[in-house]
Amino acid sequence: METMDRRWIYLMVAIAVFIPFVFPANFPISITPETQKLYDAVEALPDSCTVMLVFDYYPSTIAECEPMTTAALHHFWRKNCKVITLSNIPLGGPSMAETVTRSIPPQYNKQYGIDFVNLGYKANYVAVLSGMGNSIESIFPTDNSGTPLSELPLMDSVYNYDDVAFIFEVADNATADYWVSIVNAQYGTPMGCGTTAVSAPKYYAFVDAGQFVGLLGGMKGAAEYEMLVGEKDKAVSGMSAQSLVHLLIIGLVLVGNIGFFLGRREEREAKI
Amino acid sequence: MNFIEIFEIWVIAFSTLALFSFLYKDNPIYKLAEHIFAGLSAGYYVGLIWDTVILQQLWNPMLDGRWWLIFPGILGILMFARFFPKFSWVSRTSLAFVMATTAGIFLISQLHGLVLPQLKATMLPLVSDAGIAATFSSIIVIIGVISTLIYFYFSKEHVGALGVTAKVGIWFIMISFGAHFGYTVMGRVSLLIGRVQFLYEDWIGSFSQIF
Amino acid sequence: MRTQVPVVVAFLTGFALLVSFFFNENTWIGQISSEIKIWVTIVGGFTLLLGVVSITRVNWAAVKGRKEGWGYKVVTLISIFAMAIPAVFPSTWSPLFGRAEGSIYDWLFVYLDSPMMATMFATLAFYIASAAYRAFRARTPESTILLLTATAVMLWRVPMGEAFLNLFPGNIPEFLNTYIMNGANMAVQRGIIIGAALGAASMSLRIILGIERTYMGKG
Repeated sequence: METMDRRWIYLMVAIAVFIPFVFPANFPISITPETQKLYDAVEALPDSCTVMLVFDYYPSTIAECEPMTTAALHHFWRKNCKVITLSNIPLGGPSMAETVTRSIPPQYNKQYGIDFVNLGYKANYVAVLSGMGNSIESIFPTDNSGTPLSELPLMDSVYNYDDVAFIFEVADNATADYWVSIVNAQYGTPMGCGTTAVSAPKYYAFVDAGQFVGLLGGMKGAAEYEMLVGEKDKAVSGMSAQSLVHLLIIGLVLVGNIGFFLGRREEREAKI
Repeated sequence: MNFIEIFEIWVIAFSTLALFSFLYKDNPIYKLAEHIFAGLSAGYYVGLIWDTVILQQLWNPMLDGRWWLIFPGILGILMFARFFPKFSWVSRTSLAFVMATTAGIFLISQLHGLVLPQLKATMLPLVSDAGIAATFSSIIVIIGVISTLIYFYFSKEHVGALGVTAKVGIWFIMISFGAHFGYTVMGRVSLLIGRVQFLYEDWIGSFSQIF
Repeated sequence: MRTQVPVVVAFLTGFALLVSFFFNENTWIGQISSEIKIWVTIVGGFTLLLGVVSITRVNWAAVKGRKEGWGYKVVTLISIFAMAIPAVFPSTWSPLFGRAEGSIYDWLFVYLDSPMMATMFATLAFYIASAAYRAFRARTPESTILLLTATAVMLWRVPMGEAFLNLFPGNIPEFLNTYIMNGANMAVQRGIIIGAALGAASMSLRIILGIERTYMGKG
């Protein structure tokens, strides 16, 4: 068994991930307290307040993070919030922010510059996060497309973090730590986080300490948020495949361990 | 779906399948896709930095009268001295500037933003008014934090009381790493689901438009 | 001169930012720190370009020397220029230039670069499944704990697995969330966060004081 060609395992994974798309099986998706807290915090924001939606993820994790940013945008715009997007990721961050905001506006009749602004990217995120505490315009003199912030009506009333009611950070890397340690700690702006499953276990500590109001962990977290917002999309539809592949991997671990223990017993018997 | 949209879907599908072909074995199509990917990613940085940093942060503000931004511009150009062994030391000043700025912000923010709030959240009454379950949780957290910190304290040999605490720490760490592993599996599978969603819904979906 | 100037620059810059934490942004020290942060975003941009120049040089050298696989290096160089050159021309010349929607840069990112990066990372799902089968063994009590926790979490985090756990008495999903994720896991992560943050703070102090100089390299 141990010498089995790894490509058979790859084939099993491929089949397990494809089957649920052909034959979907719907199991109920329960909501974890961390997701509920984040949803409630956004729900409790005053209507028409200004929020930041941060695209701190690479295209590599788009499957986990984009459902979060999309659902968050639905939630914010349903509450008529003004949304400022930005990214600290040089590879694709500002482009993905453009793509997500471009894909939703017609539904809510939102106008660029009045209801939402994409600040884009600036290098050295530690200085960017800290510098925006003094003045957003000092770090982002223009938006992503080069329009001066002074020409964007939304930015007339936003000078620094004091004018931002909530920050929704979606990240696949350690930038979330810096949003906590630099922005939340020094300026006190409430913050929620959506993160990849790989990073999620770490951020439970931030939720417990009250530094994040809530947490979305991986595609399951995104699916829970989609359910709460009422916009079932890619994360919800991916849950069946996620279930089947998990069961397959657990099965593989089990078979591997049975083989291991049988092999060890044979070795022991051979020695005797 | 018009012709261009179908073409775009097929471009994505081809690049996706080309990269997945490595799972069977290394091949020229995979290598071609891999090198295109590396080149495009590097090229993306050029376009982004040219526009958002050099034009928006440096050039245009200088034209608007903030002439002193020439200094960070010079510091940035000095970075390229690294490519000339004889003058590579010149780039140290720029590097020192970047490192020290990060260090200056970090020194306070790490203590004020991470150490103190995390310690504060740990210093809870052992016996909670919220009931036995909450008390049990508090005890787990306090023992877990202390034993983990002690496990990573390598300045003294782990023997006696320190050794016992470190041993408890490793058990806690194994639970956490197990949770991490479970979440990591979940994360990696999610990324695959993303690609399969595209292949099944968009690419295979486009077949009906063509055939 | 070669090390003293960078050390002095590091001290003055780091010290200014450190002190500015205790002052209002309208004070002169606050304004200096604000200006330093703008400067570093500019210098930081050049550091990213440094990486691109490095990749271009390495690939160009391989092509020039006709090293093994040089044909692929040509593809890399063409891809770099195909992405970069149209992006640096202003969009006022043509909608194909610049970075906006409809530009060559945007098209190459959306339809090639982004899906390729997503696919590269998606292949990890296959490797992790293979690794789980081959290497995830209950050899010791510690590895058994790790294995059991991982299995329980994998079940809990998916709807089908959670439905399975709910077949057993007691609320296993709630137990996992309260005592594993928000209990033992959270405590360990907190310990690691505190330890790493103390390490980062002390390293920062060493850089500002000029004790830590390894980032300067040799020579």
